[in-house]
Order: sequence, then structure tokens, then C-alpha cells
Amino acid sequence: MLIRLKGGRVVDPLNDRDAIGDVFIENGRIVEGASHGRKPDETYDLTGKVVMAGGVDIHSHIAGSNVTLGRALMPELPVLAAQGGASIAPSPDAWGAYATGIRYAEMGYTTVIEPALIPTHAIEAQIELASIPIIDIGALVILGNDDFSLGLLRDGGREAELQDYVGWTLGHAKALGLKVINAGGSEAFKFNARTFGLDDVVPDYGVTSRTVLKVLQRAVTELGVPHPVHVHCNNLGIAGNVETAVATMEATEGLPIHLAHIQFYGYGAEGEEGLSSGAPRLAEAINAHRNVSVDIGQVMFGQTITISGDILRQFDGRRGAHPKKWAIDQGDGNGTGIVPYQYRAGNFANAVQWSVGLEIVLLAEDLWRVLFSTDHPNGALFVRYPEIVHLLMDRDERARMLERLPESARQVSNLASIGRELTLSEIAIITRGAPARLLGLTDRGHLGPGAVADVAVYTEQKNKTAMFASAHLLFKDGALVVRDGEVVNVTWGKAYHVAPGVDAHIERRLAAFYDRYYGVDPSIFGVPAQIAGRPDRFATVPCLN
Amino acid sequence: MAPKQKGGGVEAASALLRAAQLLGRTRFPVIGGLLTDIDGAVAALALAKKLRGVIDHAAGEELARGSQIMRERGASPASFGETRNRADVIVMVGSGPLKRDPGLFQDLFPEEKGLPRPGDQARRLILLGDDLVNAPTHVKLTQVGQGGSDLPTLIARLGAAVAERPVGDEGQGDPLAQVAESLRTAAFAVIVYSVADLDEPALFTILDMVRHLSVATRAATLALAAPGNGDGVNLCSTWTCGLPVRTSFAGSVPEHDARRFAASRLIESGEADALVWIDALAEQGVRRPKGVPTIVLSSSDDAGEGEADILIEVACAGRDHDAALYLPAISGIGLVKAAHPNQDKPTVAAVLNNISGLIDKREAA
Ligand SMILES: [Zn+2]
Repeated sequence: MLIRLKGGRVVDPLNDRDAIGDVFIENGRIVEGASHGRKPDETYDLTGKVVMAGGVDIHSHIAGSNVTLGRALMPELPVLAAQGGASIAPSPDAWGAYATGIRYAEMGYTTVIEPALIPTHAIEAQIELASIPIIDIGALVILGNDDFSLGLLRDGGREAELQDYVGWTLGHAKALGLKVINAGGSEAFKFNARTFGLDDVVPDYGVTSRTVLKVLQRAVTELGVPHPVHVHCNNLGIAGNVETAVATMEATEGLPIHLAHIQFYGYGAEGEEGLSSGAPRLAEAINAHRNVSVDIGQVMFGQTITISGDILRQFDGRRGAHPKKWAIDQGDGNGTGIVPYQYRAGNFANAVQWSVGLEIVLLAEDLWRVLFSTDHPNGALFVRYPEIVHLLMDRDERARMLERLPESARQVSNLASIGRELTLSEIAIITRGAPARLLGLTDRGHLGPGAVADVAVYTEQKNKTAMFASAHLLFKDGALVVRDGEVVNVTWGKAYHVAPGVDAHIERRLAAFYDRYYGVDPSIFGVPAQIAGRPDRFATVPCLN
Repeated sequence: MAPKQKGGGVEAASALLRAAQLLGRTRFPVIGGLLTDIDGAVAALALAKKLRGVIDHAAGEELARGSQIMRERGASPASFGETRNRADVIVMVGSGPLKRDPGLFQDLFPEEKGLPRPGDQARRLILLGDDLVNAPTHVKLTQVGQGGSDLPTLIARLGAAVAERPVGDEGQGDPLAQVAESLRTAAFAVIVYSVADLDEPALFTILDMVRHLSVATRAATLALAAPGNGDGVNLCSTWTCGLPVRTSFAGSVPEHDARRFAASRLIESGEADALVWIDALAEQGVRRPKGVPTIVLSSSDDAGEGEADILIEVACAGRDHDAALYLPAISGIGLVKAAHPNQDKPTVAAVLNNISGLIDKREAA
């Protein structure tokens, strides 16, 4: 069946397109319109509408034992968030798996990356992900605080083996990429460390965070995993930590790296309060390091919950819990810390955070390397994306918000002096084109012929919050799934992963390791293809070599 | 498929149809037992939602209690692996944990050296309570609390001692003061217990103790997993509807209440008008509440014939088919391969989904 999306404003930066025109869909793919010369079976008149590829979210904690621990801690989260004005149903199931897919689709998103798969809990995460409707997913599996990696590094000269181990872990968990969270920091926490920097040494193992990170980065590059190592740096959320982020960029020596939720590393230590915007310094470093990509981790005011494998940081952060409860799960590898949190406009530090995130985007020279995220739910719930798009596209909206901030925060922020308003095409870059490209998902994030027919249609209007809160239409794999902001057809997506080939000896070593230290066989946490109960659930993304 | 109906020997399809008829007429059914794998739990939750009923697990009492502590104050757990490898002082609360897992000592204290751990003292076990237990010979065991004090009292006094408050008449010589001192000087202390043995105040006290200790050193709790894949089912419920078991889908939003939505109470009080009882893990000694029309899904060969209104034989998860279940060794959900693969009987998930489809058909007709 040939579908014609007629006369909308097609915004497709990957194909250099921003013009009124048509998009054709056939058999779940975008097809060349002109060459067909036949009458479409179905035509949608999209006059006054904006047509984009389906949204691609590179970093959003939507599933897994860590997220479900958060749900168990705070079933009232959606109720509190809704009371604060967030566009979410005031019901515990509004942050359950099913509602997550529905809400993403309503906003025009079609692919979401869960960025913190715990290797030994990969089965739970993949089952949860499989119960999220409509969207496709990919997951990033966490290493860098696990004793097997650290053991290989302590022994030295075992990089080839480590590379095999990374490949094995990616395949075993059916992950799309590798995540490293405060490399060595969680392990140090196990020895009662309470801070951990890039050049601090992991107790007993004698290696620095820098070494762990660099070796894992090389392993990902050597394996040809399309998505570069995805890194949560040391010293998250600490005044002056912009230097940590810059030092991390410098440590990479030109190899690709993705730095997650960079806003949380955008803090200088200037001013009376000892906290200031480090955004200009950070933006300058991002602009200069062309091997580096980042996502924002934008903060929005309101109730949320923070969920992180940076247990050392979360342990410290427990003091700021709101409501006053938290979970510190001292698990295998990284562990997880869950701390409910309320960002307040009247709070100096929160106001600086809010400003820093926006500044980083607005100061970026190359938006293909500065991607959209809130680190859901850490900076803000994903349901708040439309408000952030609004802020990025509308300086008056920013000025209106700035009015609400404490004078002290405005003094250390640069936002008032930035006039830039992102265009629709730039929004499409940071929410579609760039994340898809960076993930190696080349069949999406754009509307060129051959791309998967994930197409979001929005009603063009001045109020960008309203525009992006509910898609006029959403096509997933060519099927209409959303009409006028409501899901009309519940479909089930795919899970994308890599499957690097690995030397069989690593399996024997791992079997011995898990038997000795955990009394189990690693097969019990390997993800079988049939786990989701749907035969075509998993799809392999080829490695680059 | 070879399901049986009351009286036995009737066609499988007929049993499913009758189950669908029975459930299609109910006003407020309970899906209970839930001794099943994650697939079964997913299907049970979907059915409960469709029927606007309640889900509960056979271990619902302890699951709901653990969930309540979590909701009110949070948690500071350690994984089984971290406890086994890195804890230098393990306090076991009573002998309940050992009764639940007879291999617990061996698993927590393997003879081989574990992963690198903080501190340099030898690993030791402190048993709180009256029962005598035999620890492996390579484990240094101290028993504290003989002489009649019950567990809640011992925990309350230990909590006070850890916080360096007066613990009672015995003063400095009190063995509990010595335990508290061991906890304070431990590099990584873990308190091991079974939620089933303890009431809420005791659980709060343990959490407070661990949090007090962890200001200066490392400390954590390790609660034994509930029987019958209780933790797996509870997790599944939480990611599905945001709430633990003992949740009702009767209203416009799901509602959890540990007492109101206990399966046994709903059946005994007559508030519920039907029960779907799932017993597919070959667990011993699980009691099914009685008093309303009941559909039993059972994997047991002697599944109380003639007692249920409709009895449907199902496969046993992890024995007849591969199953995702909560595995204590990884403190999470893992995969158990079928011990004796056998496709003669349908899975719980298949039966529940089938019944659900038949209810849809009935309603459409
Ligand atoms: Zn994150």
C-alpha cells in the first residue's frame, strides 16, 4: 500500500530538506515519491503540518531492575509530578512499562535507548523493555565497576581479553552499546571511598579511573560497535566539575566518546555561592573536540526521581531526598542509588542547573554532537520534553522563566545574553538525526528513501510546548499509531543490539569466574532471543569491522 | 494439552471455555497464588486488569510488608554476591533465613577466597536469637541472645546499642553492646533476615541501624527471597502497574492495599466472587483459600482433584519449560532451563491468555 503524506513542511536535516513537499510510505519504508507515477492508496493532507522522522531518544531510563526499584520506592511519583503541572496521568501505572510506550508515541517518539542495563539483570530489563509498546529500543550495558574487568586490568597486558569480555557482555545482554558509569568509582565505594576522580586509584586493583575508561573505550572502538562508549563521568553534580568533563574529553585522544547528561558536569566554582555556570567553558571544549558527542541532561523544575549506577554520588545525594526516602542498592558491579528529588525554580543551585543545560545547547557550534535528553527521570521526566523544545526555540519563553529564578542564579547564568533560537531543523537534528546516526541506526532519524517509515507529524504553531506534546499523526513502520495525540493502534517494536564475535576462551574464563565468586553459571543471565515471546523482537546492528 | 474439569476427563477446550464463562460473569475476582514464572505473572496481571480484579501472591503478606518499608523509607540492600564476597561481619537474624535456604551458610561463606574486599579482619557470622545452628567449621560463629528474648526485643536492643543509646540493665557487658561494636568496626556489615519472621517496627529498626552505620562505614541488609518466585512476581507487578502485589484493578487507577487486597481476606469475607489460583512451581505446603468458585491451574500430579470447580493442569516452570524466575544468587530475575523439557501441558501464560481470548469472544458475541 502506497501512502502519501501530502503538502506538509518536511523537516529532514539529514537529507538537507526543510520545505513544503510530500513523503511517501510503502511496506513500512520511506520510498521515492516521483518515481512511482502511480496513485497512492491513501493520502493525508498535511497542509499546515510539520513532518519529521520519529523521535530518537539516546538516553532515558525506562526499564530494568534499577528503574523498577525506583517504581517500588515511589509509586506516587506520577501523582506528585502531575500536581506540579507535568503532563502525566496521576496514577502509579503512568510510569509503568505500558504507559511509557504510549506516552512516547503520543509525543512522536519511535526509538528510545535505555542506558543502564545491569549485566546480571539483563533478562529483567529486556522483558520490561519488551512490554513497552510501539517504540523500538536499544540498551546500553554497564561495565567498568565489575571485578572481572578490573581483574584483567590489574594483571596488565590483558587488553585483548578485555575486548573479548566487552564483546561477550554486549552479546550476552543483547545490548546496543557499552555504558561506563564513574569508572572504578562504585568499586571504590565498596572500599568506603566517598569521592572518586579521574585519576583516583581503584582500591586493591591499583588502576585509575582514567585507565579503566580508556581501555574500555578502545575495546568498543576495536570491536567496531557503532555507538561510541557512553560515559557518565566522575564527580557528577559537584561545583567546579567542568574541569573533570574537560579532562575526560582530553583523555580520549581523538577516539569517539559520548558523554551523557553533560549538564550535570557544567558547573564552575565562581561567585558568592561557589557555584556558577561552566557552560561556556564546556561548550568551548565540546566545540573543540570533534570526537566527542554529548547529550544535555536538561533539568526542569518539579518533582522527579534520580536513578543512577553512580552509587557513590547517589549515596551522597541521599541527603537532598525529597520526599525523604531513598534506596542505596549495593549490587554486583555498579549497584544503584535511587533518590527522589524536586528541582525548584527558587533554589539557587537548581536554577543554575536549569540554565546550564540550555546554555550548552545554545552555545553549540555543531548540534550533531549535542543531543537532546533530560536523562529521564534524573533531570526531568520525559513527558516534559515539549517544554524544553519550547525553551530552545523561543527566547521570550526563556526570559519569562528567568524571571522566576533567584537574582543570584541569574547573575551566574549566561542565558539572558544568548539570543539564539533553534530552528525546527535544529530540533530535528538533536531529537532525531544526530542520535540515530550516533547510535549506528542508519535506517532512522531521517526521511530519505529506504528509511524505516517512522514519521511524526506535528501541527505547526507558536506554542511549541503544545506543538510537540501531541503528534497530529505518528506512523511506526508505516502503520498509523497516533492520531491527534492519541494512540489508535498498539504495535510492538524491536530491540536493536550488536553481536560482536568473541573468542570462545573468554566463555570458559567467565564460567570459572562466576562459579567461584557467585556460585552460578553465566548462562542464567544471558538473554535468549525468545525472552520477549515474539519471534522478531531482536534485530542485530552490524559492527563496523 | 490435557486439562481436567471437576469430575475429570473432560476436553481441554471445554475446561477453558467454562473458565472463561465463570470469569466473564464475575464482579470482583482474585488471581492468587501466582506460583508461576514471569510470563505467567505478566498474563495474570493482564487478566486481573481485564476483569477488574485483584492480584495477590501466596507470599503476599511478606512481599507487601517489604514493599511498605520500601515505600515509606526506602532500602539499603546488598546483593547476595556482594554479601558473599565482601561482607566481613554478617549478622543473621534468627534461624528463619537458614530454614528458608538450608545452603545459606555454605553460599555466604565459601571456602575459597572471595573478591577483593574492604578491611582486613577475618569474616565472621553473628547469629541473633535463641536457636542453635551449626555453621561450617571454617566460619567463626558467635551466637547472641540465648535466654529467651524474642527477636523483636533483640533487634530493638541491638538498634539502641548501634546508636549508642542505653540497651538495658546489663550495661557494657551486654553481648548486644559487643555485637554493636562489631558492627561499628566492620568494614562491611550485612544484616541477613527473612521478612516473614519480622514485623514492621523490627524492619524499620534494621534499616535505621544500617543507615546509622553507613555514615562512617559500609553496611547493608540482605532479605531472603520470598518463596514461589514471590520477588519475581512482585517486580513484574511493579513494572507493569507501578504497584506491588495485593493490588486491585477495580477502580480507574490501580490501588494497592496490603490488608484489604489480601486474597485470603477477600475470599473469606465474601468480597471476592471468584478465585483463579495458580500453583505451577511444585512448591510444598501452599494453602489455597476456599469459599468461592475456583479455577485452579496446577502443575502438581495430585492437584486436589474434586476440590476445584475447574482444574487445569499446567506445566511446571523451570521443570517442564524454560522460565524466567527470581534467582537469589544474582539478586534478580534470571533464566532457569527446563530440567525435564516436556511440552505435554500448556504453560500458565498460555492458559491465562487463552482464557482471556475466550472472554473477549464471549463479550463480542
Ligand atoms: Zn542516565
